[in-house]
Amino acid sequence: MAIHQIREILRPATVEEAWTLRVAAPESRRFLAGGIELVLYTPPAVTDLIDLSRLPMGGIREEKGDLILGATSTFSEALSSPLVARYGGGVLAAALRRVASPLQRNVATFGGSVVRGHPWSDVTCVLMGLDATLDAYDGAALTVDLDGARGRSPVPPLVTAIRLPAALRDVRGGFEKFSATAFDVATLNCACVVDIVGRICREAHVVVGGTPAAPRRLVEAENALRGRALDDEAIAAAAGVAAREVDARDDRRATAWYRRELASIGVRRCLVAARGEGDEVE
Amino acid sequence: MTARDSFTVVGQSARKTDGRGLVTGRPLFVADVDLREALVVKILGSPHAHARIVDIDTRAAERIPGVICVLTHKNTPAVRHTTAGQGYPEPSPYDTRMFDTKVRFVGDRVAAVAAESEAAADAALRALLVEYEVLPSVLSMDDARREGAPVLHDEDDATGIYEAARNVVADVDIDVGQVEEGFRRSGLVVETTCETQYAQHTPLETHVVLAQLDAEDRLVLRTSTQVPFHVRRIVAQTLGLPVHRLRVVKPRIGGGFGAKQEVLLEDLAGWVALQTRRPAFVCLSRSEEFTSSRTRHPMRVRVKLGLDAAGVLKAVEMEALSNTGAYGAHGLTVLANTGSKTLPLYNKAPNARFSGQAVYTNLPVGGAYRGYGATQGYFALETAMDEAAERLALDPIELRRRNHLRAGEGSPIFRKLGEGREGVEQIVKSCALEACMELGAQRIGWHKRRGKRERHGTWVHGLGMSIMMQGSGIPEIDMGAATIKMNEDGSFNLLVGATDLGTGSDTILGQVAAEVLGVPPDRVVVTSSDTDVTPFDVGAYASSTTYVSGMAVQRAAEEVRSQILVAAGSLLAVPPSMLALRGGHVVAQDGRSVELARIGTRAFYEAQQNQIGATASFVPTESPPPFLANFAEVAVDTETGAVRVIRYVAAVDCGVPINPKLAEGQVEGAVVNGIGYALTEEMQFSTQGRVRNPSLFQYKIPGALDVPPVEVILVDSYEPSGPMGAKSVGEIGINGPLPTLANAIYDAIGIRFRESPFTPERVLRALRARDV
Amino acid sequence: MKVRFRVNGAARGFDIEPGDTLLEVLRGAGYVGVKKGCGTGDCGACTVLLDGKAVNSCLVLAAKAEGRDVTTIEGLAPSGTLHPVQEAFLDVGAVQCGYCTPGMVLSSVALLAENPAPSEAEIREALSGNLCRCTGYAKQVEAVQRAADLMRGASK
Repeated sequence: MAIHQIREILRPATVEEAWTLRVAAPESRRFLAGGIELVLYTPPAVTDLIDLSRLPMGGIREEKGDLILGATSTFSEALSSPLVARYGGGVLAAALRRVASPLQRNVATFGGSVVRGHPWSDVTCVLMGLDATLDAYDGAALTVDLDGARGRSPVPPLVTAIRLPAALRDVRGGFEKFSATAFDVATLNCACVVDIVGRICREAHVVVGGTPAAPRRLVEAENALRGRALDDEAIAAAAGVAAREVDARDDRRATAWYRRELASIGVRRCLVAARGEGDEVE
Repeated sequence: MTARDSFTVVGQSARKTDGRGLVTGRPLFVADVDLREALVVKILGSPHAHARIVDIDTRAAERIPGVICVLTHKNTPAVRHTTAGQGYPEPSPYDTRMFDTKVRFVGDRVAAVAAESEAAADAALRALLVEYEVLPSVLSMDDARREGAPVLHDEDDATGIYEAARNVVADVDIDVGQVEEGFRRSGLVVETTCETQYAQHTPLETHVVLAQLDAEDRLVLRTSTQVPFHVRRIVAQTLGLPVHRLRVVKPRIGGGFGAKQEVLLEDLAGWVALQTRRPAFVCLSRSEEFTSSRTRHPMRVRVKLGLDAAGVLKAVEMEALSNTGAYGAHGLTVLANTGSKTLPLYNKAPNARFSGQAVYTNLPVGGAYRGYGATQGYFALETAMDEAAERLALDPIELRRRNHLRAGEGSPIFRKLGEGREGVEQIVKSCALEACMELGAQRIGWHKRRGKRERHGTWVHGLGMSIMMQGSGIPEIDMGAATIKMNEDGSFNLLVGATDLGTGSDTILGQVAAEVLGVPPDRVVVTSSDTDVTPFDVGAYASSTTYVSGMAVQRAAEEVRSQILVAAGSLLAVPPSMLALRGGHVVAQDGRSVELARIGTRAFYEAQQNQIGATASFVPTESPPPFLANFAEVAVDTETGAVRVIRYVAAVDCGVPINPKLAEGQVEGAVVNGIGYALTEEMQFSTQGRVRNPSLFQYKIPGALDVPPVEVILVDSYEPSGPMGAKSVGEIGINGPLPTLANAIYDAIGIRFRESPFTPERVLRALRARDV
Repeated sequence: MKVRFRVNGAARGFDIEPGDTLLEVLRGAGYVGVKKGCGTGDCGACTVLLDGKAVNSCLVLAAKAEGRDVTTIEGLAPSGTLHPVQEAFLDVGAVQCGYCTPGMVLSSVALLAENPAPSEAEIREALSGNLCRCTGYAKQVEAVQRAADLMRGASK
């Protein structure tokens, strides 16, 4: 359905210009990337869209080992990028393959996704596991965390790219999504990233999302892994902790009880996949 | 009759006659015409489950620029009718008005606006001031009949309701033999109760209609319907017009599955067009399609089986409680079909009873949905049969073999229970169920793989089966007619009232005509579903088209063939009985032949001039059932409770498949729809009766990644009473997945699921409850 | 506002409202082979190709198409000769009501342009945003396999 209240689409050529347009009318202007979220819901007060497509915010590249996902690059672009395929033991690509449908992945952008920040977002979930930060602009370049894309008044900064650190390029990871059908949002999703040196888990990130609250790191589950060998016992312990730690609640899709079960299973499966002996299903 | 082994067109998978237009995106659907002159009509749905409309102030809405009119109960006809597109007199109660002074579910019609643009219409809806007196509501079928329950239909002009004061729409109670005595004489009694959920058809195209006046001020409705002739009659009744002032045209439609056996929007569009003298366009949003169109009646069905030690049924009892929602459309007949389409399958039981009631609730309205009650009935019946087989230590196939209906047999149920009234005696003439079971079992590896609980990681595999029958039309009620006329080039026009809702009925009816007339299918130009042009047909429901409309076509073609042979006989100086139609020629036994074009040209211009053509009708005196044996392999994830269908084999007896690929397509689509119903599809409600998931984002139907390719086996069979040996096959497949998957899950993990859908959470809870 | 983009190879100008979706603009301009099934990107009936990629035209603002290439179902058989994917859909019986067909066909065309010999799993993945309520998807998958064979044969 048309966004009836839109009066104008502004087409800046630089990030500075885009920012100037945005702050000139904080209530009535929004940035337009892929546009999916805006078509589905635009606040009634918004009458102008600032199209980011002419800005140099696309593309996927490496910068001093960091993986840079341009804010206007699409999930499909990322899925065809060898850099993405390699990064984090493939966990980012694994998550992207589970997002919505190919039709939507051809349009949906990283910027749009992190700005919207759906609680069920597979992308937010995996990016959080990968310590993503956002390159942003608010009159000057700055770096913010994932949540920094939203909420700051009067205008949150313009996200120009998602930055995944060089330090996690060679980690291992696993992603799990539970949903009613393949093309459905997560009843619960989970991303785990582990850095294994020798046989010891030097660092671990455990993220669970769609609980139905937004993804968040499970610190105690991570603590249960750090400094230990990633054996079955450690994995089971972390999974058990995750079930207790997760902020699970009831909604239309599932009860809190079931989500705790899924959190435990998800964490275990992600860690087993990360360890590299993925148990075959079916 | 054309001999079966000499068919040249029937039995071939001819391309669909409308296929080329569909794959190239031609403007074939209701909304594909120029709508720039049309008024946009939008409906205000009730925010309350149950309320009296005290007043509606339309003044602010009427002042909005672009708003042409506002419709409410104050300025529209107040004729009680049913929206159910059934034959006249309809077996559904007259409990609906175009606009009522009371609303009975969230989404019920309050008012409507017609405007120059969608934006103006939306603004007008927001500007309507409605004063409601909110009433207590009934939000479950158990509450409906309680003492002191709010009464939904307290109006004094409704008719056909069984007991309005108790919210009971319909009541059925029939028995055969001595049921109690039968159970007493049974060594084994098995009783099971299954419960099914609210679900929506979700045709990809929502309900949509364009109404306009033609040059003579007749009302023309271009509408997405399965029942054009019923639309004409019911709209005429509702708006107070003579039938001859209406024309209903069904173009291509984007699926129906029963949802479009309902006269939902045509009254509204028609009234606006008549009042404003402008074209009026109404199209439900996807959200309205969920909340305000039609649904599958949720039911609780209890089945009790009594068997002797040899595994032969002595008594069968089925009791159903059906939730018809706020209006009684199809309430009685869906309920009756729950018994009438299931119990005759096990005719070895001399004693049988079916009873049940359909009740009103302040929830969305039930309607016709592919399977039509049989879906709900077979879930319970085939679950009970599986339980009985286990108790008797019999293979489930063997138990069914000892009890199922066979060719040459009848069932007293056929006569006792029909379409909401007494039925019609019937001896079944074709039944290949034995072969269906054997071929299906072979294909899936039943005897080797069942009961093995193969494990792959956390997934355990299991096999399940079930059998079923449906019908082919409604005997002694349905009528279909066909007209065929011959052209000078030896081609034919076939005009049918039958309604192709994507099933391919235009194609197969053309094939039947082509077979009789001895021409390739492209020489039969099919025109369907235009009440000004085509003869009457009840429409596409009750698995009627192939059988009922098909027989009408066959008869019309046979009559035309006789006329051609007479004409050719006079040309060749040979008695017509010595001539045959073949390959576009009339062929004599001595080898001489004459082209059809020659006969057509002669009839138009040369000698014994006349229009070669005929109209024929068919009213069935029986309803030959198609039969189906379902076999499924599922995998259950014992950690998450997720169920995946690994394989699904559907071995079906639909008589001679007139177009095998189209017949397969009917079964494939119905089965996948049934898998969705069994595993994921469920309309959810708030405590106030509001649909919580009215979108395809929230209500999940299967996509390409969610289902295996359904393996359809068309089992050799021939129905002597049907066109070219055919029976209908549109509905039966949808009944399979509920019991088949439930039985397969049982084989995998030993737990019976009697409440659908079988969601991962339900499965996991059951696993945990057992393992504690 | 005015936008220009190519539809089925022909450059065209459109006078649109800035908030219009590509679906609405295309249908308004007579490309009614683009179907509306949900308006929320959940069914795929409105699929078109945007610079060769299959997208939900209900989720794309028409203004975003400026300067780009749009292919609708009407553009697949401009001379009346069907595209191999269309032929295959008809041959195997993959069309029932036909409402999802334009979208299914275009998703298939986009897939085969990138992957001339897709596996069954890849085909199902490519069609996973295109819902069909009439078929069980088996015949569409078969049609794409058949079209792939036809196209590879033709290019040899």
